[in-house]
Order: sequence, then structure tokens, then C-alpha cells
Amino acid sequence: MTLTKAREKGNWLLNNLHKGMIWPAFLLFLAFVLLPLVFSVGFSFTSWNGLGKADWVGFDNFAVFFQDDRARNAVLNSLLFAGCSVPLLNFLGLGYALLLDKNSTLNKIVKAIVYVPAVISPLIMGYVWLLILKDNYGVLYSLFSLFGNGDAYVNLLGDKNWAMAVIIVVNAFQYVGLTMTIYSAGLQDIPSELYESASVDGANWFQKFTHITIPMLGPSIMINIITNIIGSLAVFDLVVSLTGGGPAYHTETLSLYIYRLAYGGRSGYASAVSVMMFFLIAIPVGISYYIMRKSNLYLNEEK
Amino acid sequence: MAAKKKIITLPKVIQIFFYGLALIAVCSLSLLPLVVLFKISIATPEMTMGETLSNFGAFYWDNYRAAWDNSNLGQAVLNSLIITLGALAAVVVASSMAGYAIARYPTWYNRAFYKIILVSMMIPAVLSTVPLYIIMKGINGMNTYWAMILLLAAQTLPFSIFVYTGFIRGVPHEIEEAAIIDGCTPFTAFWHVTFPMLKPVTASIVIIQGVSIWNNYGQAVYFLTKSNMVTIPLSINRFFDKYSANWPQMAAAAIIGILPTIVVFVAFQRYFVKGLTAGAVKG
Amino acid sequence: MKMRKMMMGLAMLALAATGALTGCQKTTGNVELTFLNGKAEVVDWIDAKIKEFEAANPTIKITQEFDKDASSALKTKINGGDIPDITSVYENSLVNGGYYYDMSSFSAWNRVSSSVKELCTDPLTNKQYRLATNKTTAGLFYNKDIFTACGIAAEPATWADFIADVAKIKAQNYIPLYMGGSETWMLGHLMEFWGHGIIKENLGNVAANLAFINNDQTKLNFTGTGSAIKTFATRFLELKDAGCWNSDFVTASYDDQIENFATGKAAMFSQGMWALSKVTAKNPTMASKIGFMPYPSMDESKAPKAVVLSDVDSGYSVMKATKHATEAEKFLNFLWNVDNQKAYCELVSAPSAFTDVDANWSVIKDTVATALSKGFNIGFTSTPSGFGGGECGALIQGLYIGDYTADTFTTKYASDWNAAYNANK
Repeated sequence: MTLTKAREKGNWLLNNLHKGMIWPAFLLFLAFVLLPLVFSVGFSFTSWNGLGKADWVGFDNFAVFFQDDRARNAVLNSLLFAGCSVPLLNFLGLGYALLLDKNSTLNKIVKAIVYVPAVISPLIMGYVWLLILKDNYGVLYSLFSLFGNGDAYVNLLGDKNWAMAVIIVVNAFQYVGLTMTIYSAGLQDIPSELYESASVDGANWFQKFTHITIPMLGPSIMINIITNIIGSLAVFDLVVSLTGGGPAYHTETLSLYIYRLAYGGRSGYASAVSVMMFFLIAIPVGISYYIMRKSNLYLNEEK
Repeated sequence: MAAKKKIITLPKVIQIFFYGLALIAVCSLSLLPLVVLFKISIATPEMTMGETLSNFGAFYWDNYRAAWDNSNLGQAVLNSLIITLGALAAVVVASSMAGYAIARYPTWYNRAFYKIILVSMMIPAVLSTVPLYIIMKGINGMNTYWAMILLLAAQTLPFSIFVYTGFIRGVPHEIEEAAIIDGCTPFTAFWHVTFPMLKPVTASIVIIQGVSIWNNYGQAVYFLTKSNMVTIPLSINRFFDKYSANWPQMAAAAIIGILPTIVVFVAFQRYFVKGLTAGAVKG
Repeated sequence: MKMRKMMMGLAMLALAATGALTGCQKTTGNVELTFLNGKAEVVDWIDAKIKEFEAANPTIKITQEFDKDASSALKTKINGGDIPDITSVYENSLVNGGYYYDMSSFSAWNRVSSSVKELCTDPLTNKQYRLATNKTTAGLFYNKDIFTACGIAAEPATWADFIADVAKIKAQNYIPLYMGGSETWMLGHLMEFWGHGIIKENLGNVAANLAFINNDQTKLNFTGTGSAIKTFATRFLELKDAGCWNSDFVTASYDDQIENFATGKAAMFSQGMWALSKVTAKNPTMASKIGFMPYPSMDESKAPKAVVLSDVDSGYSVMKATKHATEAEKFLNFLWNVDNQKAYCELVSAPSAFTDVDANWSVIKDTVATALSKGFNIGFTSTPSGFGGGECGALIQGLYIGDYTADTFTTKYASDWNAAYNANK
């Protein structure tokens, strides 16, 4: 949809100013996003230790990555986190959206309340939950003691199997507001006539849900899944404050590992791992996008 | 088929009861962290957790005063405000203009830029840290407001452009054409006519990106190192190390930091949903 | 129209504000120094001293930057060309890279004890690139009252004594040795003092230090028979089986450690003198009940004496890139004068390295002196970059939760150590 040509009268500058409208964004992006990126990719081919000069090592860093146990551990942790978080966030989000679908004031207030945790910094959220779950001193432990048996309290954050589960759940409850908001709006866009005519045809709730709601929510589902994949794979602040990546690296995600590598002076290798992280994100996102396009869920005009 | 309809139809009262229960559960879960944080912030440093929880009467506000004084919170609030407002102004202006350009003038380079922007959203921010440091140093931007503003604006551009582009595509171009016939240039047409219509998107950008910038830690920690330049998240974290877990004071500081975001959210919330979905979902 | 004007107005305001504020930060032609400090406890004190110094020296302006991870901050700054003038960070990789100013000719050395000067000397160049104003000690703090209550008459001298004492303490329902296991640096220290202590006592400090710096495995013997690392792991697990550690080992924090000791729940904890003031702040009555003893040796065949850490603390270095070495030295000499150092010693609970400073640096000054004479004095370990206390601590966490046996722990420790060493050659 292009505009018709502007009137020729007046200042050439004013008439053509609109052609430069993309430049502020472009320049900002170039300087602070693109340029650093190019540098970083460059560093990934060096053995730079964070100080002084960097020696070219070609693909060595990438070779090391595939043999690095701690990197493999971090990748698996990130995948586990995302693999559980994305469905959880979407089921919860959709559930909340369905529950609060009616346009009453009460529902609007509750929806706002549900979103509030998302404006809190994840770092702080982690500390709060630490206070809630801490063994011997936390909120839950105190409740257990108050009502009887403090010893019965299980130190979830110290358990190598449960620590990750805690992070997943905390993350879900913090960001469910965002997924819910998108689903809510998607739901409200579904014309009620569709449901009415389906009822007339004798469809029950479940059939309406699977044949009308889900397909019509296509765009919402796609946005949510893609943003959730990206966000989950990059989770950082929450892990730092809740477990610090422990115990013994069992909750160390890829972003945390990269951060520690860079801090520990292995900047060249850190850049290489970051490049791998990009692929780790891009592949699932690409696959999701492809699947959804194919199954015609994404009903949008071609860009 | 008729038999299935009769399966579970509870009396209205019970339905409302369960509905209410569900709402209470949902609200409690979401508000739990804030409530806990608040309760801790009004506890005295000597209280145990049990006492803190069962404390419903005494409000030890001194924690707030102490947190404010001890970690120079006043200066941090000012810094956070300046940087957030500045970055928001910059990103709204830049991304709305970019969205307009991409939506209305889909030249090959504009569309390429758009695609690159989308892909860049998948790139983890941690990748750019060290080169950014070199760049920031090179432009003499360390410990300055303007550099931080531009940096954070740049980082929040992708999603903002995405949302603006989507929304503007949904605005009929006849509106601008009418303005042009009335004597505007395409540039002024955008500002006079289109931009006011973008209120919902702008609102959602203010909420989502504003919160993200306000809470920014990963960039601020490298580029704002002087004590008089720190923002609230940095201030709280230093606080943590210096006074090693004086939880009540830390909680008070955290609440001071969270309040503005909640206020802004409540204020802009009306437009938020419309803007987010129209821009993101339909775009 | 209104909306646009408002937006423009907002943008103008933001730009004007930033312009004004950046303007306020311009320099005025004085000498400006930055001091990068990683020691949280002394930040306020340093700020106060800076004010005093600036009042007496109006042409010199000093800014202190605190960073919890000052070491990484310094490296990032070096890369960005934003090198501070003075710093508390001292690391081998930076020494080797030639980033430090040679302080060997500073006049202050005349007042520093020879043992401290020796510890401050870089073994490879025989020059001094830092001056440490204090010595510090680390060992086992214990609660005298609890020991009495459990029937422990004397400090355990051998490992057998120690394990027996642990059992006695456990029987009386106290926590024998409380560790803040979520803080990996603390666990790393445990290895550095108790584990590496075997090597250091065996070889002597100077030779051991050289062996660590050069990763001389013929001397360090990480994976051979009688490996100190394996001994450490075995003993660690032994203690675990005896119920020595607190049940929330992996999630307990430094504060929890202080809290548990100060409130009399834990009988012992492993720390340095830096922790003492925290304990007495929490519970002033503890001051009279605190005992301090060396770590009983984990391997009496190799290292019969108990070990206690005695190394330097509070080091100051000047960076080679500084343009104001004279002014930096002037400021440092001010910090280092007798009155200031006396106050500093009391602040950090550590004895002074200066021969002319006599401070009452701690209530348990004499207890510590006894421990130092009883135990074999060892220093900190020079760990390779990338495998420091934190990484070692994470492995110990793994040992605790059962990811490793003593054998697999030893292999992993050695391979990670070597990998880090080789990556940074």
C-alpha cells in the first residue's frame, strides 16, 4: 500500500523528509546492534583471552564447543528449560485467558493483576522466591515449622533434580501475564457467530474448542510460541538469583555459561558459544514458524 | 448427541463459587511475590521469617529510609528516570518512523531491514557485550546518560519496529492521503495524523520496553560504573554485596524500584492490550 | 497535533536534560585518579579518606569505583582502554601481561615487614607490583562453650581427634562444621587451605607457589598415588558420612553461616578473619567465646602439622598505564599513614603489615597468634585463570550431592585445572 506522490509545492527537504524516516532506527541499530555482532562473530574465530591481542584460530573454538562437557550440560539445561517452559506458559496463558474471557470489570482487574509480576525485574523475582523457598529460613519452611514439622520440608533448590523445576515454575508464573494477554485479545477477536452456528449444529464444548478456538487463535499461538522460545532459551537473571546455576552446574543455562566464560577471560570462546546459542534459538524458531505456516494456522497476508 | 449435553451442568451458584475460587487462586499466585516482598520490607532486621510472616500490625518503615540513604537510592531513581524516559522517547520516535517507512514504502531495502530486525530478536544480547564496551569507550560514552539512552533504545528497537509496522499496516493509507491533499508532506502527515492513531501501540511499547529498560541490568552493569551514575537495579545489587543480605532493607529498596513500573502499567494498561495484539498478532 | 507536540517536547526535554547533566560531568583541569576497588567492606572508609585527601590536596580528584567482581571489571576496562590508576586487584595473568606499575621503589617499603614484602614479590621478576597493608589468617573458628558442652577438652591436633570431636558434637545435636555451600568461593577456599595445604606443607610455600604457577605436575601430583586432591575428596566424604556438614549445605549462604555460628547452633566454621566482625556484629557476646584453630592435617603421612592460612590482604597496585604515578603514590602514602592504618586494621580485623602500626585489630588477637604458631603457615593458591575458587567450589558441590566419587572428582579436578592452565598459557 504505497502513498500517492506528495504535492510538489514547497520545500524539497520537507517534501522528501519522509524518505529519511528509517534512518534514525537504522543508524542506532547499526551502531549498537549490528556492529558489535560482527565484532563478536569475528572474536569467535580467535583465542582472545579478554586482554590484549587476539590470535586467529579458525574453527578451533567451535570444535572445542562440541567436546566441552560443561557446554553440553548448559545446552541441555537450556533445552530442558525451554522445552518445559514454552508449553507451560502457553497452557497456563490460554487457560487464564479462557477463564477470564468475559469482558467484566472484575476480569479486567484480575488480568491486570496477573500481568503485574512481569513488570518486576526477574533478578528481584528470583531473590523473592529464594526467600520463599529457602531451607531453614524461608517462608515455606517457616510455615512448615509453624504447623508442625520443619524437618518435613524438602530443600528443592538444593536438589539437583528439582532445582530446575522450581526455576521453570517461577518463570512461568512471572510471565504468564504476557501470554495470557495475547491469547485474550485473540479470543476476543473470534466472532461469536461462529460459536453460535456451531451450537446450532450440535457441537459440544470440546468440539467448539478444537475446531473454532484453536484455529482462529493461530496468529496468537505463533507469536506466543516464538517469543517464548526466544525468551526461555535466553533466561539469565532468574537463574542467577535463584540458584546461581547450581547446585554443581545442574541449572547452569547457556547464557549463564557464556557470561561466566567471558568473565573468566575466555572471550574468544565465549563469542563462539554465543554464535552456537544463536543457532540453538534459530532452529526451533524456524521449525515452529515452518510448521505453523504449513498447517495454515498463520492466516496473514504475505508481507 | 442430546445425551451429552446433560453431562455436567452444575447449579449456577456452584459454578460461581468455583469461578470465584479460581480467581482467588490466580490472584494469590500472582500477588504472592509482591506480598512477601512487602512484608519483608516492613520487618525489623532482627525478626525471624516466622515473625515476619505473622506480623500484621507493626510497619517498620525505617527500612525504606535506611535503604534510601544507604544505597544512594535517590540518585539511582533519578538516573533510572532520565535513562528510561530518554530511551523511551528515542525508541518511540525511531521505531514509529521506521514502522511507517516499512509499512508505507516497502522498497527492497526497507523490507530487508525489517527482516534483519526480526532475525536480530533471536540473537542473545550477551553476544555483544565486549565489542559494545569497546564501542562505548570509543565514543566516550562510558558513564554518560546519552550513550546509555541510545544503547538501550537500539536494543529495544526490533520488537518496537515489529509492533509499529504491524499496526500501521492496519491503518488505511487514505488517512494520510487526505492529509496530504490538505497540504501536508508525507512526513508531517505521519506526525499529525497517523501517530495519534498509534496510541495503543505506543502505550504497549511504553509498558513492555519501558519496564525492560527500567529493569535493565545486563548492560547498565558494564557502562554505568561510577556510583553517581548507577540505576536502581545496580544500586540494589551493590546493596546486596555491601550489606550482605539485610533482607528487609533490600526488600524496601526493591519495592521503591518496582512502584514506578506498577504505576506506569496501571496508567497505560487500557491501551496496552489493544496495541500489543493489533501490532503483534495481526501484523 | 497535541500528541506530536507533546512527544517532541518530551524528546527535547530528555535531550536537554542529558545535555545539561553530561555538561556537569566535564573535567576541570585537575589531576584525576580512579581507584578500582573490589573489597566491599572498605568502600565507605575509602570514600571518607578520599574526601580528607582532596581537602588537603585540592588539585587532585579521586573517584572510587566499587565492583564486586573487580577482577573481571578490570580486564574489561583494560580492553576498553579505560584503565584505572590504582586498583585492589592483583592477578598473575595481569602481572605477566605487564599491566602493573613497578612499585619496588616506593618509599613505603621501608615500613613494611620483610615477610610481607616477600609475599608481595613476584617470583618470576623479583619485583613488587603491589603493596599489601595487612596480613590475614584463615582457619577453623569454634565456639568454646559448645566444645565444653560436648566434652571436648582440647583442640583436635590430628585427623582422628577431629573426627572423634565431630561425632561428639553431633551427639549433642549441634552442627559440627557449617559451610555456606551455595557460595562456591567458600568451598574453593576449603580446597585451597585444607586440600592444597598438604602440598604446601610438603614442598614449602615458595616451592609450592612456583609449582602451582608453572603447573608442575611432578610436584603437584594431582592424579598420582597419594594425591592431595584425592585425599581431600576422601576426607570430605568421610566428614559427610559422619554428619559433619549442615543439611542445607548446597543452598546455605555466607550469611547463614554467620547466623548459625553467632546464634550458637553451629560449633565450627571455616573462614578468614574477615568474617569475625560479622559474627560479633550479629552477637557481641560471642567475642569471648570464639576460639580459632588451624586445620588438622588431612594427610599426616605427608604433612603432619595442622595448617593455617597466613597471607597478605588489602593489596594496592598502580597500573602501568597511569599518567599520574606521583600523585597516585602520594594518595597511597596518605592511606598508608600510621593513623589511617590503625583505623583500617580495626575495620578489617587484620594485623598490619607496617612495622610502625600497632592496632588492636581483634578481640581474639592472641588466640590467632597461638594458632599461627601451632600450625604450619600457608599462603593462598595461584589458581589458573578460569579454574579458580568458584569453579572448584562447584565441583565440591557435585561431590556433596553425589555427582562424583572421590576418584572421579580427582580426575575431573585435574583435567579442568590442566585445561584452564593450557588455555591461558
